[in-house]
Amino acid sequence: MYLHKYIGVGIGNEENNVAMSWVKDNCLSFFQLFCIKVVKAGRIPQHIAFIMDGNRRYAKKNSVDTSAGHYKGFDKLSETLKWCLDLGVPEATVYAFSIENFKRNKDEVNALMDLARDKFQRLLEEIDQINEWGVRIHVAGRLSLLPKDLQALVSKAMLVTRYNNKLRLNIAYAYTGRDEISRAASHIVDGVKNNEISPEDIDDELVSQTLELGEAELLVRTSGEVRLSDFMLWQVSDTVLYFTDVLWPEFTIWNLLAAIIHFQRNAPPPKVKSDLSDKKQLFLDNLENHREQQLEKYVSC
Amino acid sequence: MYKFNIFGESKKNCQILLTLVHFVVNILVAVQNVYSRIWNKKCTVFQDEVTKSDIKVILENVPRVTKKLKHLVILTDSDHHSLSDLSRMVIWSLVAGISYVSFYDLTGRLKENEEKLFLEVERNKKGVPGCIKWYKKPDLNGYTNGMQAHTVYINIFTSEDGRPTIAQCIRRIAEDKVVCSRESSEYTAQELHSALTLMYPSIPDPDLVLYTGPRCCTHGLLPWQIRLTEFIQLSVNHSVNINNYVGALYRYNKCDQRFGK
Repeated sequence: MYLHKYIGVGIGNEENNVAMSWVKDNCLSFFQLFCIKVVKAGRIPQHIAFIMDGNRRYAKKNSVDTSAGHYKGFDKLSETLKWCLDLGVPEATVYAFSIENFKRNKDEVNALMDLARDKFQRLLEEIDQINEWGVRIHVAGRLSLLPKDLQALVSKAMLVTRYNNKLRLNIAYAYTGRDEISRAASHIVDGVKNNEISPEDIDDELVSQTLELGEAELLVRTSGEVRLSDFMLWQVSDTVLYFTDVLWPEFTIWNLLAAIIHFQRNAPPPKVKSDLSDKKQLFLDNLENHREQQLEKYVSC
Repeated sequence: MYKFNIFGESKKNCQILLTLVHFVVNILVAVQNVYSRIWNKKCTVFQDEVTKSDIKVILENVPRVTKKLKHLVILTDSDHHSLSDLSRMVIWSLVAGISYVSFYDLTGRLKENEEKLFLEVERNKKGVPGCIKWYKKPDLNGYTNGMQAHTVYINIFTSEDGRPTIAQCIRRIAEDKVVCSRESSEYTAQELHSALTLMYPSIPDPDLVLYTGPRCCTHGLLPWQIRLTEFIQLSVNHSVNINNYVGALYRYNKCDQRFGK
């Protein structure tokens, strides 16, 4: 990943460090970091979801080929991650590839798979730095739909970063919201069949906990579309939805800060987490173990 | 110690600046509100029933809205929307040829007042051809004034129809009360969909959600059904009138749908 290009400037919480890197960086960046600091004085969303739409329109607009647009989009993702780290956002989720996207033409799908291979390969090469930043990677989706080698790469990335806790980055890949709910339903039904939980335990709270992705506080969708496109359907019931016309590769820190200011003006009060019963917790812990074993299986394949 | 002080002060300064930013945004929003209110006053005087000119406006504009719009959902907040607002939207939708109009009851008070809403709709419907059917209240169904007239089906949904209903469906599958078979170890969306459709009236997924106010949020509206639904703001100040209704339809028409391709 190209993360290191962007992260590293001004992550430190200690003001002195930030000040030093401000001097090193150019003036614009000083001003941007200052604005980040101002916005940070207010409430910061604890989980931001992004629908990174507009890579292809960007490619068309600038007459480059589609895959170049997707690469540009990925660069923007690493930039956005740096902003999230600076802002102190502990969790970000991005919609990278929908199950529906498999219907696109073969060349584009292959190019997108190659992009993912390339990026996850790089991530593993630079793992020391990722660990230093404390970024945990989680790929949410139906991994069985991916090519075998990509399954292994993705699983490895998840396993080696699983103890990092500064920023959790969820990448929705081979994902749809309906599919995620369906997979959760399977685990719950299996849990009842295995006598881990009883049917009476099944409520919307348990389903929420069984899903791979947690609830987002802010969802940003770029490029002017005003729908969810099957992303986090279950998790957005209290989320502030923010739609903006800018294409994803042209998304800037100003767009993100505007979204957060909108959030600060309109967000409902934060949710208090309710405690789960021991039985449910045990079921969820087992599920987590089971998921980890599955990842290890993918790696060794 | 000294360093700590600077840190503390700069944090305070940031807070002051942020308050200032929000203050400026508040002013801008207020100005926009006043502007839109003046604009709306110019176009329409206050009214609580469907007028001939409303119908004319819709008949003039609707042919230009070519995108499929079968099911319209209105996020209903009884603190801001009167029954008259809601019933006028029903009649406008009837004239516009929308087949399903659903209200998503955010406060729970609309469901209690369903009869009142029914009477208000009937009052507004006078002279407008077409038929209005109420899904869960067969005894309230009105009569049609013409054989081939258009029909609108009305539903009221609440948050109970969202996540809790899906959870209940999963429970029924776990209890073997509903058959839901799977080919692999995990259900596909299609497999679960077949079980879920039994929990809901057989109506198409919403095409458009209209909301008022500054915050766009699903509030837990039918998670399974809204994957392709568009969210469009009717007005920023919760007002409901024919101009912002038609304006919302135009904005809906502009977006193109791509189904992931």
